[in-house]
Amino acid sequence: MRRTSCEVPTSGGTSVDARICLIVDDSRIIRKVARRIVEGLGFEVDEAGDGAEALSYCTAAMPEVVLLDWNMPVMDGLTFLRRLRQLPDGDRPKVLFCTIESQPERIAEALSAGADDYVMKPFDGEVLQSKFVEVGAA
Amino acid sequence: MTPEDFDRLQTLLLTRAGFRLTRDRINLAEHRLGPVARREGFHNVEAMLSSLWSKPVASLGWAVIEALLNPETWFRRDRAAFDVLSGELLPALVRARPGGRVRIWSAGCSTGQEAYSLAMAAEEAGAAAEIVGADLSQRALEKARAGLYTGFEIQRGLSARAMLRWFEPDEDHWTARDTLRAAVRFERANLLDDPPADAPCFDVIFCRHVMTDMDPARRARLLDALERRLVDDGCLFLGPDERPEADSVAFRPVAGRKGLFVKAPTAARRAA
Repeated sequence: MRRTSCEVPTSGGTSVDARICLIVDDSRIIRKVARRIVEGLGFEVDEAGDGAEALSYCTAAMPEVVLLDWNMPVMDGLTFLRRLRQLPDGDRPKVLFCTIESQPERIAEALSAGADDYVMKPFDGEVLQSKFVEVGAA
Repeated sequence: MTPEDFDRLQTLLLTRAGFRLTRDRINLAEHRLGPVARREGFHNVEAMLSSLWSKPVASLGWAVIEALLNPETWFRRDRAAFDVLSGELLPALVRARPGGRVRIWSAGCSTGQEAYSLAMAAEEAGAAAEIVGADLSQRALEKARAGLYTGFEIQRGLSARAMLRWFEPDEDHWTARDTLRAAVRFERANLLDDPPADAPCFDVIFCRHVMTDMDPARRARLLDALERRLVDDGCLFLGPDERPEADSVAFRPVAGRKGLFVKAPTAARRAA
């Protein structure tokens, strides 16, 4: 797990729960690009390199948003998503698929497996921001 | 491009379109005019402009103007406006209008995302809406009519579910399905021109982020033209930070609904 050590922002002396987004992608470059955008939206970011790593992360603590690649080694995104939704509180995180797949059938498959929305790569900050707004996470 | 060229471009944009081409846009102007010069068969931008200044040709003038307007738009931009429309206004209008027919104008529609978003909102509300998109730019209108968007454009403001429902993939683009395209009509219009005497009125007008780019002295004329195309008690949506001039009696703001204004009945204003 690649936990960041940035401080949780607090306001008026009351501690505020950090809004955490877990970025799940086997490409370090994609994770880095996505991290920069998502941090700009006010989230603290953690990263996982495959579905199995992401699942063990979520078993410990549910993030608010999961940005999820499809094709990854060990466990793919769709398998992760189905298992996540079976976990206690596993329906809580907003899951945004974020993948190169752009066929309508694949998009529909991801949505029916419980994804809240779907981002086709390539994406930019404006697309990602509008998707976060769409799922009510921005 | 010489500073004098840019001065003349500013004047051209101002007089024809009321558009304020600010001086910080000189590099952007140069960049945008390059493709126009190539398309029109000129060696470079300066050659095109010097030809335009010495013997003005209307079509070239408009090609230059179009390239310098601000085309930025996206689906469901400032989404609160669409929620107010489909959740509050349309249900009331559908009950009030014979056959539930409602007319909506997307004034300054650019490449069509706003007009198509209006069509989706109308369908959601069960309204038989007639939607017209109008813009000054022929090139923007061509794209709007084609309903063809890149992966970036289609994902900006549209959920994947809405995208699948209303669009289909076309190589690396997404194209509006026939049902969506049939719900919207696009036409060229200069919002500063006097509308034709028989121009139909609309129940709702969306004219967002148009006023901001206009020269302040032309905004009253825009508001006047919009007012004439709106039915009494009709609704005008401006951008969330836009508002009519302070002395406007034609429109009153709706509390708690940013950017929404209602047209005061014409008769009441005459009596006042």
